[in-house]
Amino acid sequence: MMYDYFNNLVTGIESTLVAHPEKKSHRKAYALEIARLGRRLYTEDERIAWCGVLAPFDVLNAMSVTSCFVEFVGAMLASTGMVPDFLQEAETRGFAPDTCGYHRAVMGATYKDLMPKPDFCIATSAPCAGGMGVMENIARHFNKKLYVLNIPQEATEESVRYLADQYQEMTDFVTQHTGRPLDREKLREAVTLSNEATAIMEEAYRLAQHVPSPANGKDLANFGVVMALLLGTPAAVEVARAYRDAFAARIERGEAGVPGEKVRLLWIQNRVQFKNEILDLLETENQAAIVCDELNAITWDPIDPDDPFPGIARRAISIPLNGTVKRRVKNLQKMALEHKIHGAVNPCHWGCRQGTGARGMVAEGLKQVGVPVLNLEVDCVDTRNYAPGQIRTRLEAFIEMLTA
Amino acid sequence: MYYLGLDLGSLSCDAVLIDADANIMATSVVPTGAKNREAIARAQREVLELSGVAETDVAATVSTGYGRERVEKKIATVTEITCHGRGMEAMLPGTRVLIDIGGQDSKAIFLDGKGRVLDFAMNDKCAAGTGRFLEAMARALQVDIEELANLDQGAVSNLTLSSMCTVFAESEVVSLIAEGKEVNEIVAGLNRSIASRTLSMVRRVCPDLTGMALAMSGGVAHNQGVVRALSAALGVPVQVPEKPDTVGALGAALIARDRNGK
Ligand code: SF4
Repeated sequence: MMYDYFNNLVTGIESTLVAHPEKKSHRKAYALEIARLGRRLYTEDERIAWCGVLAPFDVLNAMSVTSCFVEFVGAMLASTGMVPDFLQEAETRGFAPDTCGYHRAVMGATYKDLMPKPDFCIATSAPCAGGMGVMENIARHFNKKLYVLNIPQEATEESVRYLADQYQEMTDFVTQHTGRPLDREKLREAVTLSNEATAIMEEAYRLAQHVPSPANGKDLANFGVVMALLLGTPAAVEVARAYRDAFAARIERGEAGVPGEKVRLLWIQNRVQFKNEILDLLETENQAAIVCDELNAITWDPIDPDDPFPGIARRAISIPLNGTVKRRVKNLQKMALEHKIHGAVNPCHWGCRQGTGARGMVAEGLKQVGVPVLNLEVDCVDTRNYAPGQIRTRLEAFIEMLTA
Repeated sequence: MYYLGLDLGSLSCDAVLIDADANIMATSVVPTGAKNREAIARAQREVLELSGVAETDVAATVSTGYGRERVEKKIATVTEITCHGRGMEAMLPGTRVLIDIGGQDSKAIFLDGKGRVLDFAMNDKCAAGTGRFLEAMARALQVDIEELANLDQGAVSNLTLSSMCTVFAESEVVSLIAEGKEVNEIVAGLNRSIASRTLSMVRRVCPDLTGMALAMSGGVAHNQGVVRALSAALGVPVQVPEKPDTVGALGAALIARDRNGK
């Protein structure tokens, strides 16, 4: 069923692009690569690894492993409207309804046989302990081996070395399951492609800083997080280039991502993954454009292709949801200033310590740079907890406040 | 020319009609009931009748409240947060922190002292501590909602309710009655629980209340017991305007007047 779903998606987009080359767009390029990844995950003879969010996907791509973080499935189920059954399944099996909806959805999908069977699993200790628990459950459910990457909180020399050594060990673990040793030349190529893609993404984000911004909420939704899955492949470079070129062309034509842009917003952490009216309300009704997302940030330097593991370690350690909230806030302040932000929206995703636990410090930190924050308090995955009227009132009141 | 503000809330539909100089001509508060449109028409009709103003002389209408989209012939919809800020400034000028407890939600709004919203916080998806909560508690105590307002008088114990969930709190109240606890003690406990829930919202928008003028709007502001409990919890007196449930509608009417270019 899932193979057919993704296959139809891939062939649908591909045939549209053949029949109407003028419909080629950055968003289609992105959607096509996600659909292709989805299809690979459900293809029989692929080597599959279910992973934590911070797994080094470029290394895994270089080792020809189709890998994905499990939360991707939660987001996908939410976006297709299928999520309630899976959440219910997880809750019936004993998962508390106030834990992260991504994880409940993934566990439900596992129990309902929707998850493709992995060859092995790689968990990451960041961004959350809940993710580790889910990976352990999945590995046990499928009776597969689990490798745990312990991500240190700070990028000291020792901690970088510690994580880099784990990557080396992880590649041996992968080889044990695939029979394919790490090809250093392939890894070199993959890292070069990662560097190229991230440099182009940075260019795209720089263009998004333009006033009015060529970017909008739809363009940026989930972009950086999903791009991590494509790193190390030519697809990542292609999608990043499509984004950069689209933004550059819009600026050139004098077009804004949100026509008539009046307010510039920063979106904190996750997007709401199911169908909702938030973007329409903000951007179409009120010309309040989301011009940057916290999770799209490139927080690391280019990685040395000849000695990639320390650079990859620094990358994992640097992401906003790892380490102290102080560092996270600093990054948010920088983004807000660079993008000339008027206000920020924090969904405060239910059950997430990053989303709810840090919200006071995040709001305080952004206030220091003159950026008010709206806390939405939504569950980004669980449609059953969504109150559209409440969300509309909060968002409208926030925009009224920003434009008063 | 006249300006109409309509606030369609979950429990009541409020209307305020003002003239070109922002004088209040008439106010009306009617229960929302199941039929929104009828409540809107009735509130509108009442203010026109009370003031003797013809409908054709109403230059502009602005609607607010959760049902704001359902009002016809409006020039704009504005959220209750902005409207309450504006309305309270007209009723109690200089208010800095506004607590609005309505039928199904409660809010703390931080104002600039001129009616402009600087920050706000709303209750999460739960009606605990709102008008609906009090309605349920009045039912459990078998008293009228209006009666609740003074039933806390004379309470001496520091009884607290352990549950804030409307359903659980209702059964807790029933058990307390069965245990023989005095009604005034239970009501004082209820008021304290509403106050403590509201307190965190207030502190979130304004951590330091020193020198701040606080006021309360919304139907629950009629309940003096809740106001007393709030003032005690916050350590600052909370003012209540004469008609607290019409603050939002007045703000809407004033915005209608502004936007229509007086
Ligand atoms: S939303 Fe929070 S709890 Fe859920 S996967 Fe992300 S970091 Fe973990």
